[in-house]
Amino acid sequence: MNEQPSPFSLENTLASVGVRRLTPENTTIFEGTFSLLHCAVRGDNLYRGVFAVLLFPVTYPNRFISLRYTGEKDKEHEIGIIEDLATFPEEAQHLIRRNLARHYKEYLITRIHRIRQEYGLLFFEVEADGHPASFVMPWRYDRAEEYGQSGKVLLDAFDNRYIIRDVNALSATERRMFTSFIYW
Amino acid sequence: MKPTPLNVITIGRIPATVRERAQAFGFDDDCLQFAIASDLALDGRATETWVLVSSTHVVVIGTGENGETVGPFELRTATKVRAFHAVGSAFLQLQIDGLYVDVARYSNSLREPFGRAIGELKCLIEGAPARPEVLSRPSETLCTRCGLPLPSGGGGCPRCLRKQGIFARTLGLMRPYWLSIILLLLVMLGGVGLDLIPPMLQRMLVDRVLAPPADAALMAHAESIRLLIWILLGLVAASAGRMLLNIFIGRTSSIIGTRITKELRERLQRKLVSLNVEYYNRHSVGSLMSRVLYDVDYFQGFVTQVAQGFLLNLMLVLGIGAMLFWMNWRLALLALLPIPFVVAGTTFFWRHIYPRYYRVWDSQSKLSQLLSGLLSGIRLVKAFGQEAREERRFSQAAGYLQQSRRGLETSVATFNPIMGFVFGLGGLIIWYAGGRLVLGEMRLLGEPITLGTLMAFFAYMGMFYGPVSALSMFSNWATGFLSAGQRVFEVMDATASISDPPNPTRRAAVEGRIEFRQVVFGYDPYNPVLKGVSFVIEPGQFIGIVGKSGSGKTTLVNLLCRFYDPQEGKVLLDGVNLRDLRKEDLRRHIGLVLQEPFLFRATIAENIAYGRPDAEPAAILNAAKAANAHDFIARRPAGYDTKLGEQGAGLSGGERQRISIARALLCDPRVLILDEATSSVDTESEQEIQKALATVCRGRTTIAIAHRLSTLKNADRIFVLDEGRVAESGTHEELLALQGLYHRLVRIQTELTRIES
Ligand SMILES: Nc1ncnc2c1ncn2[C@@H]1O[C@H](COP(=O)(O)OP(=O)(O)O)[C@@H](O)[C@H]1O
Ligand SMILES: [Mg+2]
Repeated sequence: MNEQPSPFSLENTLASVGVRRLTPENTTIFEGTFSLLHCAVRGDNLYRGVFAVLLFPVTYPNRFISLRYTGEKDKEHEIGIIEDLATFPEEAQHLIRRNLARHYKEYLITRIHRIRQEYGLLFFEVEADGHPASFVMPWRYDRAEEYGQSGKVLLDAFDNRYIIRDVNALSATERRMFTSFIYW
Repeated sequence: MKPTPLNVITIGRIPATVRERAQAFGFDDDCLQFAIASDLALDGRATETWVLVSSTHVVVIGTGENGETVGPFELRTATKVRAFHAVGSAFLQLQIDGLYVDVARYSNSLREPFGRAIGELKCLIEGAPARPEVLSRPSETLCTRCGLPLPSGGGGCPRCLRKQGIFARTLGLMRPYWLSIILLLLVMLGGVGLDLIPPMLQRMLVDRVLAPPADAALMAHAESIRLLIWILLGLVAASAGRMLLNIFIGRTSSIIGTRITKELRERLQRKLVSLNVEYYNRHSVGSLMSRVLYDVDYFQGFVTQVAQGFLLNLMLVLGIGAMLFWMNWRLALLALLPIPFVVAGTTFFWRHIYPRYYRVWDSQSKLSQLLSGLLSGIRLVKAFGQEAREERRFSQAAGYLQQSRRGLETSVATFNPIMGFVFGLGGLIIWYAGGRLVLGEMRLLGEPITLGTLMAFFAYMGMFYGPVSALSMFSNWATGFLSAGQRVFEVMDATASISDPPNPTRRAAVEGRIEFRQVVFGYDPYNPVLKGVSFVIEPGQFIGIVGKSGSGKTTLVNLLCRFYDPQEGKVLLDGVNLRDLRKEDLRRHIGLVLQEPFLFRATIAENIAYGRPDAEPAAILNAAKAANAHDFIARRPAGYDTKLGEQGAGLSGGERQRISIARALLCDPRVLILDEATSSVDTESEQEIQKALATVCRGRTTIAIAHRLSTLKNADRIFVLDEGRVAESGTHEELLALQGLYHRLVRIQTELTRIES
C-alpha cells in the first residue's frame, strides 16, 4: 500500500495524455483591457479574454478550475486546469474568484417563508442571499435536482437556480413545508 | 413580480435618472433605437440596469445611487454581438478587437427579451435593416394576460385557461358512466335508509316485548311472541336488503373502477408514446413506470370512495345524527362531545402525515428505478465487478423505503387507537347520562327515556363512530390520491409532444427531396446545436455526412425524422414543411437506422418485420440478404425464429446493426437514413453492405452518416458538419481538392489504415 508510484504507473501515463495542469510556475494570470482576464502559459500562447469554470462546483467549489477562452469561429477551448487555486498568488486568486463569481449566479436559500401550489406551479417565498425573494417553479420532478449529499437545486420557470445547501439544516417547519412539495 | 419581457423593451419606461445620465453620453430620445432593462449588474448584484441602444452606440446605465455605467461602446468598432450563457445568468457581449467584452448581465428570467434585443443589435452591427416587430412580438414564455410562466412547448396559461383541480378532472373521467353513478347514489341512499331501520326495531323489541314499562298495558303473551317474530322478520328483511344493495354497489363500483383505470392506463400509454424524445431525457423510466402501474390504481380507489367511502359515510353520519337528535337532542349533544377532539386530532395528524405519503411514493419509485437500472445494466456491473457496491446501494434504497413506510405506518398505528379511545369516552358518557335518564334521574336532560331508546341510542352510536373515523381517514386517502393524481395528470398534461397539424398536407407518394432552410435548433433553446444549417438534397441522391462526434449529425437526423421541431428555419420534404405533414405519413417514408440499434424481445424475423408486421417471409429474407445479415442468421439453429433476449442479447454489435438495417430496408422507405449504422461492423462486411445498399438505394434518397470515410467515396455529395454548421460540401474529389476539414479527416484516417495494415 505504501509503494512509490512507479514512473510507468497509470497515474503518470494518464497525466501525460490528460488535462494540462496550470501551476503558478508555468502560468501568469493578470488583468488586461476591458478588465478581461488574461493568462500567459510558459512555452505557449498568451490567452486573452479568459473565463473560469468550476469542474466540480458542488464537491470541490475551490479546486479544479478550468480556464477557457473563445477562439476562432466562436469555438470554446480549454487552456488547462488549476488544481488548487490556493497555490497561486493573492492577486491571481482574486482575479479568478471574481471571474468565477461572474460565471455563476445561484441564489442561496436560507429560509423558506411560504410555498403555495396552484396550477401545477409552486410559488416560493424565501430568503435568498439575505434578501426576501419569490419565484415560481413548475411542480415537476426534473425541476428540483439533487445538490451534493442532502441539498437541492430548484430551477424556477426561467431556469434561475435556487440552492438549498442542506435540506436537513432547515427548521422542522420549513422542512415539513418543503418536503411536502419536493418530496423526492 | 418580475418585469415581463413584453414591457422590458420599451423606451417609454426608462427612468428619468437614467435618461438624464444617458444624455451626457449623447443619447437623445430621438436617436434611441431601443432600450432594455436588465435585473443584474455585471458583478451579479440585483439592481435594475438599462441597456440603451442608439444607431451608433450602446451604453449601460445603472439606476443605483452612483449609477455605474458600462461603455459607451461604438457599434462601428464591434465585430459581433452574442449572448453568452453562463450558469444561472447570461451576458450580452460585444466582440471588440477580437475579444468578447461583457456589456450587460441578466438573469435567466430575461433570456427571451435579451435574445431579441441581441438579434436587433446584430442587425445594427451588420448593417441589416432593423426589425422592430421582433421586439414587440408577444412573449412565448410568459402569459401575456397574467404574467404567469407558460409550460414549455406551448399549451396555454394554466391560470387563464382555468385548469380544473384534480378532483374535478377525475370526476370528469367518470362522465361516460354518469347514469350508472346516479343509480349507484340512489341505491346508496336506499342503503342508508335500510341501515337506520334495525336500531328502531330493536328499540321496539326492548320496549314492547322484552322489558315493557310497568305502566304499559299488559300484552297477551301470544301477542308478544307474534310481535317478536314480526320484528325479527323486519330485521332479517332490512339486513337482507342491505346485503343485496351491498352486492350491487360493490359490483358496480368495481366494474366502473376497473374500466376507468384501464382507460386511464391506455391513455397514459398513448400519451407516453406520443411524447417526444426530449421528455424521456428528463424523466426517469422508473418514475414513469410507477405512474402507469401504481398511481393509476388510486383512480379505482376514487370510484370506490365515491360509491362506498366518502359519500356513504357522509350520508350515514348525517342520517344517524338526525336519528340521535330526533330521539333525544340533549343526549345526542353529549354523545357528540368527543367530536371536536376527533376533528382536531385528525387535522393535526393529517398535517403531519401528508409529507410522509409523498416520501413513500418517492422511495418506491427510487427503488424501482434502481432495480431497473441494475437489471438492464447487469453485464456492466459484472464486468466491473461492482456487485457488492450495487448491493449496498440497493440496501440503502430499500432502507429508505422501509424508513418512510415505517414512519407512515407507525403514525397511523399510534393515531388510530388513540382515536378509538376518545370515541369510547363518548360511549361512556352516554352510559352514565343515559343510564340515569332511564332510571328517571338527571331531569335537566329532559324526560326520562325507555331502556329501548337507550339501546337504540347505543346501536346508532356504534354505527356513528365508524363512519366518522372513516371520514377522518378519508383525508389521508385524499392526500395519497391527490399526489397520485397530480403525477398522472402531469404526464397527461405534458406538452412535450410533436403535434399533428390541424390541416395536414396529404402526400400519397413522396419523391424524396429534402431541404433544410436556415435551421437553428438546440435541445436547450438558448444553446443552439445547429446554428443555421441550409442544404438541398435532390431525390435519389446518396448523401454522406461527416464530422467530429458532437458536431450535430444525429441532431440533423432527429430533425429530419421530426423527433424535434427546429426553433428557427424549416425542414422540408418535397417542398412541404414537416410541420404540415402528418407524423404517420412522414415516418412511413423515412427509414431510420440508429447509431445504437434497439431490438425488441422477439424473434429475429419479428424484429426485421417490426415496421411491416404483414411482410411476406420472402421479403424478410431479401431485406436480410441486402443488409448482409442473411448468412449469420441462417447459421443459427433456429434461423429467423431465433428468439432474441433483452435488447438483442445474444447478438454481436455488428449483427444487431445489420438486423436494424434490414428492418429499415423492409419498409421500402423513400428516404433512408443510416446514422453510423455500420460503425460496429468489420470492414469486410461493411463493404458487402455497401455493395448491397448501392443496389437497394438506387432511386432512394439516402443519407449516410459515417466515421469511416471510405464508405462515402461514391456519395453524390458529402456534407462536412462542424460546430453545428455545414462547413464544406461537395463530392469526395472536390472536397479533397479543397484542402480543408475533409482533407484533414481523410488524411488522418488513411494514416490510421496504414498502421492497421
Ligand atoms: N438529448 C440531448 N439533450 C441535450 N443535448 C444533446 C442531446 N443530444 C445531443 N446533445 C448535444 O448536441 C450536440 C450534438 O450531438 P449529436 O447530434 O448527437 O452529435 P453527433 O454528430 O455525434 O451525432 C452534442 O454536443 C451533444 O452533447
Ligand atoms: Mg451521432
